[in-house]
Amino acid sequence: MTEHKFSFDGVMLGDTLPPLVKEAVSRIQLVRYAGASGDFNPLHTVTAIGEKAGFGGVIAHGMLIMGFAAEAIANWVPNRCLRRFGVRFVGPTRPGDVITITGRVAAKRIDNGENLISCEVTATDQNGEIKLAGSFDAALPAGRA
Amino acid sequence: MADENINTAVAEYSYTVERGKIREFTLAIGDPNPIYTDAQEALSHGYQDIIVPPTFGIVIDLWSGYDFWAQTLAMGMDPFMIIHGEQEYEYYGPVYPGDRITVVSRLVGDETKEGRTGTMRMVRVENIYTNQHGEKVMVGRSTRIERKQEGVGAK
Repeated sequence: MTEHKFSFDGVMLGDTLPPLVKEAVSRIQLVRYAGASGDFNPLHTVTAIGEKAGFGGVIAHGMLIMGFAAEAIANWVPNRCLRRFGVRFVGPTRPGDVITITGRVAAKRIDNGENLISCEVTATDQNGEIKLAGSFDAALPAGRA
Repeated sequence: MADENINTAVAEYSYTVERGKIREFTLAIGDPNPIYTDAQEALSHGYQDIIVPPTFGIVIDLWSGYDFWAQTLAMGMDPFMIIHGEQEYEYYGPVYPGDRITVVSRLVGDETKEGRTGTMRMVRVENIYTNQHGEKVMVGRSTRIERKQEGVGAK
């Protein structure tokens, strides 16, 4: 994750991010993320509330899954290159789900003198169900990889 | 909420970025990237110190005194029925430990729609994050959805 050897000219449409497979989401992780983020909505930690809200139990914080996606992105492009990152939270993630982050380069353009790539990013679970769908823009140095 | 509240600042708050909080947050995510925890590693990438990860805005929002729960109730929403629908960040510069970040949070949308599973109220908020040097470092846009369904929720 420390060497980023690519450049704007070296990145092609359809290039893929190295997939990131996370460890299964655990209840302890949701408790830790609640404390770390400050999001103490009991929907994420108290089973009875998750049931009452119609989810059949606790669900993960959407921002945790966005954090997984950010990890995958930063493993691929240096943080300083990231200009925008946006997601839709498509479906709930439950304890035990194994999330995989994938992505691909969808567009390249020059904007305001910056060499921008736009990439799609997706989080799916072990059944291929989409949890998060989004995109990010990164500004890359020109030149050959 | 009435339309006259659209585009008004709904909250303003400040947060001083702490090294230990960055570590706690990346441990919770399980993100081992040393750029968030190892100053030497960060320096070798040209940063002045460790930096915050891309989703750290949530920490700034929720640990700075902004009370999501109270805010939600004040807007007439059921906190148990709110889900995070969308989140977007724009990045303008690195955020380091010790930075004092001030956030101005504005309500930019509030609409109610009939969805597949019932009525949904969608509230959109835009946050502008500025550091102690007056530099805009980040913009955040979130959409929170209140689901109104029969038989579930606190009401």
